[in-house]
Amino acid sequence: METNIFKLFFLLTFTLLCVSCFEDTDFNQASDVLVRPEIELDLIYFNLEASKFYNYTNNTEILVVRDTTDLDFLGGDDITDILKGADFFFEFTNSIPRGFNVSFDFLNQDNVSKFLMQTTVASANQDAPVVSYFVQSLDEPQIKELTKAKKVLVTVTIPSSSQDLSGVLNLQSKTTYYLQIE
Amino acid sequence: MIKKILFIYLFLGISVVVCQNKQLLYNWEVTPQTLLLNPGSIVSGKFHAGVPLGSGFHFNVGSSGVSVFDVFADDGVDINTKITNTISRLSSRDFFTVNQQLDVINFGWLSKGFDPMYFSGGMYQELDVIAYFPKDIALLAWEGNRNYIGKAFDFNHISARADLLTVYHFGVNKQVSKKLTAGVRFKLYSSMVSVSSTRNKGAFKTTLRPGSVNIYEHTVTDLDAEVKTSGFISLDGLEQSQVSKKLLGRALLGGNLGIGFDVGMTYQFDKQLSLTASVLDLGAIFHTKDTERYKATGDYTLDGIELIFPELESDQSTIPYYDNLEDDIVREIPVDTLNTGYTQLRPTKINAALHYDFGRFVGDKGGCNCKNNGTKQKRVSQAGFQYFSIFRPRGLQMAGTLYYTRSFGNTISIKTTYTLDRYSAKNIGAGMFLNIAGVNLFLAADNLLQMSNLAKANSVSLQVGLNYILN
Repeated sequence: METNIFKLFFLLTFTLLCVSCFEDTDFNQASDVLVRPEIELDLIYFNLEASKFYNYTNNTEILVVRDTTDLDFLGGDDITDILKGADFFFEFTNSIPRGFNVSFDFLNQDNVSKFLMQTTVASANQDAPVVSYFVQSLDEPQIKELTKAKKVLVTVTIPSSSQDLSGVLNLQSKTTYYLQIE
Repeated sequence: MIKKILFIYLFLGISVVVCQNKQLLYNWEVTPQTLLLNPGSIVSGKFHAGVPLGSGFHFNVGSSGVSVFDVFADDGVDINTKITNTISRLSSRDFFTVNQQLDVINFGWLSKGFDPMYFSGGMYQELDVIAYFPKDIALLAWEGNRNYIGKAFDFNHISARADLLTVYHFGVNKQVSKKLTAGVRFKLYSSMVSVSSTRNKGAFKTTLRPGSVNIYEHTVTDLDAEVKTSGFISLDGLEQSQVSKKLLGRALLGGNLGIGFDVGMTYQFDKQLSLTASVLDLGAIFHTKDTERYKATGDYTLDGIELIFPELESDQSTIPYYDNLEDDIVREIPVDTLNTGYTQLRPTKINAALHYDFGRFVGDKGGCNCKNNGTKQKRVSQAGFQYFSIFRPRGLQMAGTLYYTRSFGNTISIKTTYTLDRYSAKNIGAGMFLNIAGVNLFLAADNLLQMSNLAKANSVSLQVGLNYILN
């Protein structure tokens, strides 16, 4: 009698374990999981006074001004593997009565250009500021080059300048990064 | 890393109710483990001893709000779509839990004499993990901020705690009067490892604000976040065997210690109706050694990098804008590493139940439970209602259970339960107890309706044990 009860107990336990299973599931789907965040991030901005384009000491024009900043997060194997696309958005507000050529040259650590973006900025309409936009979307091959860069060189070129030139060239910019983590 | 965290969370997402609720063992008078759930239970035996490492094992894993099937169903729908839907459906109050207890030693004896009392003691090991679903952080990691401009991602959603410890306990149970039996159990906790991050504050937000210096403002406001660890630093860099040795030492009272107690009672209104109640783990662990805490506080607004086009001489280097930006962030949101101690309250549990005995009498000597001074006649059936709650980082979690217990002589007892809480309305459990010449074996499992496909389970827990009871 006691033996039979124990048998029954273990039979019930065994049955419980046997009927417990995962059905209608496919755990191989785990390999298809892709984390694809899309990140909006400010890039650079500046307010470039017209006086930057004239040397008042020598009374000479300065037709090209440059500045550069590291963008450490762009370079490196980690970002190369997961960055699949990027949209750059630049908004210029110009109150200087001159048009401009502006370039964004992404350089590697040895100052070798890896990716170049160029645009023109419309001249101010008399005293009214003019807004210009520049958008560039990068595909995967371009991203491969971009992610070799570690810094960006910004060059602003003015066709002519004078002592009494006034106004401000304002830039605001952002980037949308399309990541894909497998 | 993000993917791994999400995957672990979702894979282990067998929806579990209130993880430490042991509704099948509560007030099941035939098991010694009942005394661990209510030190004021009515004890009918003279002596009990558990098989070392085998007297009681409890395991429960899962999370509320999502099942394995929700994500891994073989239904032709892209898994990424299912994860997106799952993240969208879950809230920051949903949680993932693991609770496991292993009785290492369990014993008890009736002290006869003028004032009979039942003493019991032992030691068990416990692993307890709870992690609330960090909804906002998961959303940010899974989708990014592009579609959530203006939304504040709340760091308060990060709330998790994990403890591995041993508990040494000794309790006394006494029949105070014909109607009242009361008990108390003192506990000494020895923490092996512990990590927690609760009560975090602050938010991250990206706003589109005309008139600001750049297109967006990325702000971290009122950040106050902390991760507390105990027992991890000294394990760093050790071999597996050395880690095991250290953990064993901590299990044997060599860890961070704490104290606590359980109290409980049984009150018999009459020979059929009774009330039981207990409060468990009223106590705290004092983490004083081997602690490391990481604390981040502050506010910061990121607008991008402002170029000022300085006039540089040929030998001058450019302005280190990016380094300055990093320095600003570190200065405004410093992450401090502290080694100060901290106190952590144990998750206190409350049980209460109303029981009604009916049917014919069982037991020896004509159904009179004479070893208990004849205060209660044991009947073959008992039914009732049980209440359980546990204090968790986000507040009280509660469950209600209707149950029925049936004894077949002194050899077999079965208990069936129906448990309801805010996460599940179809949790049926059953337990079976065998007593052969004092050797008793119990097996109890939850959520039997889902046993045939655990992927869809709302709650799964298993409790088994082997003891010797002398009546």
